[in-house]
Amino acid sequence: MIEARELRKEYGGFVAVEGSTFSVDSGEVFGVIGPNGAGKTTTLKMLAGLLDPTSGSAEVAGYDVAETRMRHHLGFLPEESPLYEEMTPISYLSFFADLYDVDGDVAERRIHDTLDDLQLEHRHRQLGDMSKGMKRKVAIARSLINDPEVLIYDEPASGLDPLTTNYIIEFTERLAEEGKTIIFSAHNLFHVESICDRVVIMNEGQIVARGDLDQLQREYGETTYHVYTTVELADSVRENGRYRSVVQSMDAVEEIRASAAEAGGEVIDIRTEESSLEEVFLNVAESGTGGSRYVEGEEPQ
Amino acid sequence: MNPRKLLRIARWEVQKNAGGLDRRTVAITVAVIVLFGAVSPLIASGGAGLEEDIYRVSVDEDSQYYGVAADDPKFRIVDGGEQALRDGEIELLIDGSAIRIADTRKGSAAFSEFRDSIQAYNNEQLAMESNQTAAFPIQVTVEFREQSAPGRDNGSSTGGETTDGSDGTDGGTTDGSDGSDGDGTDSGTGDGTDGGTSGGTDGGDGTSDGSAVGSATPPLGDDEISGSPADINPPFPFQSLVLAFVFVIPLNFLIQAYGSTMLSERLNRRGELLLVSPVSRLDIIGGKTLPYFAGAIAVEGVIAAALYYIAQGGFGGAISLFAITPIVLLFLSATFLGAMFARSFKELTFITVTITVVLTSYAFVPAIFTDSGPVALISPLTLVVRELQGEALSLSAVAFSTLPPFLTAGLFFGLGSGLYREEDLFDQRSITGKVLDALAVPISRPYHVGIMTIVLIPFVFVSQLLAIALVFPIARGSPEIGQVLILIVVAVVEEFAKSLHIYAAHSHNTFERTRRVAVVLGIASGIGFFLGEKIALLGQLVGLSELDLARQALQGGNVPEGPVVVLFLFAPLALHVVTATISSVGALGKRRRYLAAVAAAIVVHLVYNLTVVNVVA
Repeated sequence: MIEARELRKEYGGFVAVEGSTFSVDSGEVFGVIGPNGAGKTTTLKMLAGLLDPTSGSAEVAGYDVAETRMRHHLGFLPEESPLYEEMTPISYLSFFADLYDVDGDVAERRIHDTLDDLQLEHRHRQLGDMSKGMKRKVAIARSLINDPEVLIYDEPASGLDPLTTNYIIEFTERLAEEGKTIIFSAHNLFHVESICDRVVIMNEGQIVARGDLDQLQREYGETTYHVYTTVELADSVRENGRYRSVVQSMDAVEEIRASAAEAGGEVIDIRTEESSLEEVFLNVAESGTGGSRYVEGEEPQ
Repeated sequence: MNPRKLLRIARWEVQKNAGGLDRRTVAITVAVIVLFGAVSPLIASGGAGLEEDIYRVSVDEDSQYYGVAADDPKFRIVDGGEQALRDGEIELLIDGSAIRIADTRKGSAAFSEFRDSIQAYNNEQLAMESNQTAAFPIQVTVEFREQSAPGRDNGSSTGGETTDGSDGTDGGTTDGSDGSDGDGTDSGTGDGTDGGTSGGTDGGDGTSDGSAVGSATPPLGDDEISGSPADINPPFPFQSLVLAFVFVIPLNFLIQAYGSTMLSERLNRRGELLLVSPVSRLDIIGGKTLPYFAGAIAVEGVIAAALYYIAQGGFGGAISLFAITPIVLLFLSATFLGAMFARSFKELTFITVTITVVLTSYAFVPAIFTDSGPVALISPLTLVVRELQGEALSLSAVAFSTLPPFLTAGLFFGLGSGLYREEDLFDQRSITGKVLDALAVPISRPYHVGIMTIVLIPFVFVSQLLAIALVFPIARGSPEIGQVLILIVVAVVEEFAKSLHIYAAHSHNTFERTRRVAVVLGIASGIGFFLGEKIALLGQLVGLSELDLARQALQGGNVPEGPVVVLFLFAPLALHVVTATISSVGALGKRRRYLAAVAAAIVVHLVYNLTVVNVVA
């Protein structure tokens, strides 16, 4: 449903995104994460057709992102979505429905259904008089006005209170269950972990890791082994009448087993603990890419 | 471009802004517009009476001229004699049938006005005659003909007995006295003033009165092609001033609202969601601009129709509206481009004030010379003045007045729409950076440089026309200074027009930064400019080339005859290529190096122009 091939974006001599290649299958929820300035938003905007890539290409729903027709199949929610505050939610959404060629009756029904789903009231109040959470719901409703197959959501819950955030994440999960293909970017990795099927991690303009969560944990995460013995060993801690040692590899587990046997004891339990996405992300982000982000000869003085 | 979506955006723009206005604001706005609409035509028609009592005349009650002076509000009858005339306390002293004129410019103007008043007075008297056939024994049919040599053929504009405008005949009522017999400024000539026929009043130089035959002389029909500001000072061209006020002032209010709506799309990324919708940026720009354009045309149309009705007593004003349209577009396009450059409302205010000053000057300054020659046609307002005066307008005059601002407006909209994209719209770069972006975005191949140079020609042309209008008064007093000034302006404008987009392209790394590439780009730009500047030939169609000043600006001097003509045809090409290449090579470096190279190109250009002017002279 989405194909990005060697996307590159330069601003002057600064390389914001370099060699970004990935694909997203139909109905998949795909996460893009990375530290600030990693190139996530630039990548998403290139996919939405807002930014022209310096090189490379991308397709969404079978259309080149430069084609206007592609936009009929896309719902884009930018990180910040200031609305036309003089308008009401109904007039605002009706206007965009017209631009997306949605038939009047269909548009009216869809607007009310979506606002019902989002539990948005005060539909005839000016947007300028609404809370940030309500405005965000209107922005989400706008992204759904054309009933798109593909949704690109950049930080959909940014700056919202926990209640509204949870509601929006749950709403996004419902959209995924309905079969929408979603690219999702968020700083809250718990949200990404909870709804994304696959993830790419970007750093310094490049994709530095990719895969489903298990793959990422295997490749970039660490497994921690909690080994429980009947005898006290070096660096072990007494817990409920037994001793716990924490090690990072199976070899170390075997060493503990041997030490316990030497001391006249034995290993009575071993528990494993996988890295969270956040720990994976930190491991990847801290490693960096090691390269310059400037075109040769264009480095700032 | 999708017209349906464009109109939908236009409707949304109106609804959005209407939603932001409370009833009180709407009521005040409507009241101001109605008041303005009602008062403006009255002012324009002279109802404000600013010329009332401006000339003082001493005349006895038993003089045949007493009624003339008493009926015309421009004249105030005062007591005074020879001494008062010498002291400048009165402008005209009428002693019997002799008219004495104060030796001042105001005195000359007063006499000129008095002659017109006598004519009007006589016509009025004749119109009251019971036997109209006796009052007007000759019927004159006026037929307009296309002029083969604009500005030269005065006589072709009138028919019948008044074919020769130089003889100073008047209105066909009588052949009167030959204008050559009297200089018209000679106090006390009065030949033929008796008898009560208007022909007798034209004892003057004949040239100006020749053009006044039924007010039917086509534009540029005066024998005095190059005219002088002295001809119109005093009286001040009040009508042009009022027209500039009436037509241009509403635009100044309009661009504030238009600039604000364009800039508000950029602030806080409000316009991002429109950009990601299935509409083109031209739909967005067109849709947002249409309501302001339509509103401006509606207001200007009402003003034009009202002025025409007052001036001519019928329905009309279409030419005036057509003439105002490029000014409306110029205001909107310059504001649009400015709103793309501005980073805040503070900067936008600065830009709109600059636009107001420059474009009002463009519209008003040349129109001052409406009665003085072709230089006035630089401003489309001159077409308005002439239509209101009931004068015919040639197609070439209309094209000359309107085409450059039309094209320049197109250029501004084109450059601005190049910036109407995510990475420029919401960026907070400097104005200089935005200007370079606007110029660099359309360029990706070397030949694009040449095309961009051609595209910039209307802006160059309009700048030069404005410079001509501004320097014109100086040139009348000191031709040498005027000539040098205009040549400097020409060199500066043309050299930047040929090279700024090359510098912009280099700053965006569009091309390889080598001398060979720089030379190729310089040649492309030079050729483009040579081809594009032929638009200046338009000036010849209306006789602007008759002015030395305009000839220097638009053609680089006279083209000699004989074998050297080939040299003179290709010398401009060589000049443009060489100077563009100098600047292009400089553009490989940073800004200082580029500016230094342009300065060198300007010097070369200036030396060339001065040489050509001197050689030809």
